[in-house]
Amino acid sequence: MGPLTLITFLPALGAAAIGLLPADNHKAIRWTAAAFTLAVLLISVMLIPQFSQTHTGINDVDGFQFVEKADWIPAFNISYFVGVDGLSFPMLLLTALLCFICIFVSWGIKKGVKGYFALFLLLETGMMGAFVSLDFFLFYVFWEIMLLPMYFLIGIWGGPRRVYAAIKFFIYTLVGSVLMLLVMLAFYFNVKDPVTGANTFNMLAMMDQANHSPWLNLFNVRVLLFFGLYIGFAIKVPVFPFHTWLPDAHVEAPTAISVILAGVLLKMGTYGLLRISFPILPDATHTFAWFLALMGAVNIIYGALCAMAQKDLKKLVAYSSISHMGYVMLGMASLTAAGINGAVFQMFNHGTVTAMLFILVGVIYDRAHHREINRFGGLANIMPKYMGISAVAFFAALGLPGMSAFISEAMVFLGAFPVFQVYTIIGISGIIITAGYVLWTVQRMFFGEGLKDEKYKGMSMEQIRVHLPEINGRELFTLIPLAAIVIYLGIWPHPVLGMMNASLVHLVELVKAAPVVTAGLF
Amino acid sequence: MDLLHLLNQGLFWFFVVMTVVSAIVVVFSQRVIYSAFALLFTFFGVAALYLFLAADFLAASQVLIYVGGILTLIIFGVFLTAKIYTMDIPQQTHQRYLALLPVVAMLGLLTYGLFTADWKTVTPAAEPTTKDLGQLLLTTYLVPFEVASVLLLAALIGAVRLARPMQEEDRD
Amino acid sequence: MDLSRFNLITIATPLVLGAGVLLVMLVDLLSGRANRRPAQLAALAVVLAAAAVCLATWNTGGVSFFGQVSGDGFASFFNLIFLAVAFLVILAGPAYLERNAIHFGEYYSLVLVSVMGMAFMAAGTNLLVIFLGLETMSLALYVLAGFNPARQSSNEASLKYLLLGSFATGFLVFGIALVYGQIGSTDLARFSAYLAGAGDPFAGYMGAGVALLLIGLTFKMAVVPFHFWSPDVYDGAPTVVSAFMSAAPKAAAFAAALRIFYAPAESLGLPWERILWILAALTMTVGNLSALNQASIKRMLAYSSVAHAGYLLLGILAGNELGAAGILFYLASYVFMNVGAFTVAWMVNRRGEGRYDLGDFAQLGFRRPLLAAMMSVFMLGLIGIPPLAGFFGKLYVFTAAVQAGYVWLVVIAVLNSAVSVFYYLRVMVIMYMRENEALKDVDRIPATFAAVAACALMVILLGLIPGSVLDVARAAVASMP
Repeated sequence: MGPLTLITFLPALGAAAIGLLPADNHKAIRWTAAAFTLAVLLISVMLIPQFSQTHTGINDVDGFQFVEKADWIPAFNISYFVGVDGLSFPMLLLTALLCFICIFVSWGIKKGVKGYFALFLLLETGMMGAFVSLDFFLFYVFWEIMLLPMYFLIGIWGGPRRVYAAIKFFIYTLVGSVLMLLVMLAFYFNVKDPVTGANTFNMLAMMDQANHSPWLNLFNVRVLLFFGLYIGFAIKVPVFPFHTWLPDAHVEAPTAISVILAGVLLKMGTYGLLRISFPILPDATHTFAWFLALMGAVNIIYGALCAMAQKDLKKLVAYSSISHMGYVMLGMASLTAAGINGAVFQMFNHGTVTAMLFILVGVIYDRAHHREINRFGGLANIMPKYMGISAVAFFAALGLPGMSAFISEAMVFLGAFPVFQVYTIIGISGIIITAGYVLWTVQRMFFGEGLKDEKYKGMSMEQIRVHLPEINGRELFTLIPLAAIVIYLGIWPHPVLGMMNASLVHLVELVKAAPVVTAGLF
Repeated sequence: MDLLHLLNQGLFWFFVVMTVVSAIVVVFSQRVIYSAFALLFTFFGVAALYLFLAADFLAASQVLIYVGGILTLIIFGVFLTAKIYTMDIPQQTHQRYLALLPVVAMLGLLTYGLFTADWKTVTPAAEPTTKDLGQLLLTTYLVPFEVASVLLLAALIGAVRLARPMQEEDRD
Repeated sequence: MDLSRFNLITIATPLVLGAGVLLVMLVDLLSGRANRRPAQLAALAVVLAAAAVCLATWNTGGVSFFGQVSGDGFASFFNLIFLAVAFLVILAGPAYLERNAIHFGEYYSLVLVSVMGMAFMAAGTNLLVIFLGLETMSLALYVLAGFNPARQSSNEASLKYLLLGSFATGFLVFGIALVYGQIGSTDLARFSAYLAGAGDPFAGYMGAGVALLLIGLTFKMAVVPFHFWSPDVYDGAPTVVSAFMSAAPKAAAFAAALRIFYAPAESLGLPWERILWILAALTMTVGNLSALNQASIKRMLAYSSVAHAGYLLLGILAGNELGAAGILFYLASYVFMNVGAFTVAWMVNRRGEGRYDLGDFAQLGFRRPLLAAMMSVFMLGLIGIPPLAGFFGKLYVFTAAVQAGYVWLVVIAVLNSAVSVFYYLRVMVIMYMRENEALKDVDRIPATFAAVAACALMVILLGLIPGSVLDVARAAVASMP
């Protein structure tokens, strides 16, 4: 059994172990969950030195690392085929890290503790499996496995409108997966394994254009399939106009689930585009790159404007996620080495930064029991440590130089500008809006006259501190590693960029080699 | 010879008309008792038609089972039901236009069959068919024959179940 | 006389069941009036013995009894499905029957007799055997549906099923007669040889014959427009019986349909393909749309089983080996999901028979987490979420249909599956997310719980090893004469 299998199925094993524990022993359940996620994190980190930075991957089986392959359903040529390259490895590390941290973020869960942590670990299995799968069918199965725990975690442990939010999330995502399923079957029936000659779900075989049937070589068909996949993935990213589930889901979800949702699940959408749409349909991708860039620019501006209009802090962070995923879209649409490196780096950075933001929202919500920005004020005096760590997160979100997000955003713009000047300029102007809402929020929350809340009127500082105690050790423990990573990568981004560069450059070359088709479209 | 043939033909058509007319009476009569008696003629007519096909055993079974068994049962049922004459038993047809659709389709298929089928003619055996039937039932059709007996067993168990009183009364 | 023509191995499983029926009746008679446990144990023993015989004689029978039956792997596969369903409803049943004061020994003998009929439907290679098997099965079901004479809806269900079912079998017999008139035989080998050779599937009475055969069988499958009985009957019948009825007879009807139409599928001709196409599309759409708005879980499951009949028709329509094997796999997983769901439905019902409100499930996720988790497995399996068994059933059948060129029908089927999410998911929403309505506790019934757990386990297990089960199903299909 290889390390990737271990990483994928250890959490599921943990879920089973939790299932055997008594339901009222919350302590044992929490620590079991922590132990299993820690094991996954440690295995993932130990893979870093073994991970070769020169292997390409993407469409080259020898370029993948830690590959495992075994027959699963031979009748359909479905195999358990896993491996990582520069595209999936950073995502795998991010998932392992966030899952471990989120166990501690969830420490305060009181209702149905056993079910919560079991589902959480199952969710981790789904995410890990989706990132390491190299068989489309396996990817689809893991993709669906993610859906259910998420649905329950929002629907049972969420806020007042949790049922509505959970169903909305489920239905949106399910529509996406149905489209993906149809496209997957279309690929399956039109791709022949070069060795056996049978139809196959192997992604790498699908990427070799020589294996495609004549029907699959019709450009109109390819465009249709490309947009089928695009909608499936765009719902997950989410790209305007498929984003409406996201604010609801985020607002209702418990803190840790928001972190996972924003930190990992949104990346699943862009990851899917890069892993599946780009290399299997390079010509359609190349032809419609402008469309992806346009949607990226729209996302940046739309998300930022919506964020600015929010009164609820969590909704603001949710919309800022939409905006930040726009950078990823713009970067990958550029099809330049800098742009795509920036995009995947932005995926990683957004994962860490937005995780911090959601944890911070959770911290203040646990104390004040509301999230209305305008009812805060002067928190810098009441909770100085909280203010300090919040500053790191907010400035990282706005892309301040010295923070990791600055580097990825700069790379995205550098890569995209020569290709899509207009969209890039629109995108850059999004930064200004971002700076606007971030700074305005910081100003309203942390500075000023003091709390603008009737509840605290006439209380002395000591009395207020009883209601709003300083951020505690456990919460700091969840935030400081993320802050350290954000700052470290802001100064020295090479560890992550080095991991992914070879693969992503190869991906760009692959897509760029395909022709841009302009004539005969429909 | 010709006379015999004519007689034969006449008898055949007589039974055909009898069967169809009495069947129509069964369906359209407003009184249950009329329907029951008309059914008697239908069954007899069908039995006679079997005889024309030289299916002597079948004709005998038809008379024994349908006339002797089922019809008698029905008439007893009618007799034993109180107020059968005064009670209004509705015999209307609902949704006739919707029903027309499948009926016409089926009629069309059957009429089409009537004209296109490859009609086989068999010279009737000189001796009674009972022996052949018995042999077939215990060789080629042994399994269906035995399954039919299982079917009867199922009917028996079911009848016992339905006829027995409820558990509460059963227990004391 | 050549005795080797009477190879008892071919009908070993139904023979054991037949002997079992008599044994169960005898045990019930001897064990006193109020005590039904010996009859139940005897019935369980009979089912296990039959299953053992079925496994021991797996695909060893071959055609026998003058071509009337075939004890091939196909029959064995279906026998195992029927026996599993019988085992589960016999194991789970007593608690329900006690609750409604209808615990009679005939329940067990009728279930066994009905399964025996199904076994002949799956093994028959002659239209007569299939018809008699279907009648045996149905007769037992008519009585089972009316097993609670104190309740009007049960009587209504029984009568409705009897009247409509008799019509359907009437059509079936008429169809057999017409087919016989055309080809001079009721043998299925002759039937497919005729269709393959003649070229015209509408010659003479063949068109009318096939139409009537189809009506008779699709009635038992509850295919639109012959489905009207199923919600009323499933709803009115005692719920243990509904669990049995929605699973095993449907499987048996598909077994018979495959026996009759699998070999000549290629030569059935375009009009039949079009009709089946329309029937399949109608069935899944009508079933799903009707299920959307049901307040009673029993009616919802009834309509859902209509929809599933539509998906299954795709496999018949595909007419290829994968389609047939896919149906076998689909049914093997479907019966467990349905039996499990119906059983949970009566376990949680606290408002009395006749009131199967979805609200019964409120907060079940916290009152009885394990039971709710298993119900979720059934619902998700019925949706077809991977990696549960339901997903692979659909995948196989849909893939077969695509291979046969019915791409648009598969698109309709996939969209229908997406629609079905709404009503299956609603059960889960209620279980986990609706506030408690101060419902009474759910009884703890170990035997019934074990039956539900076995169902859930099978749904998960079949999803983990779908490949090897499909291989068995393929071999079963290939072993058909």
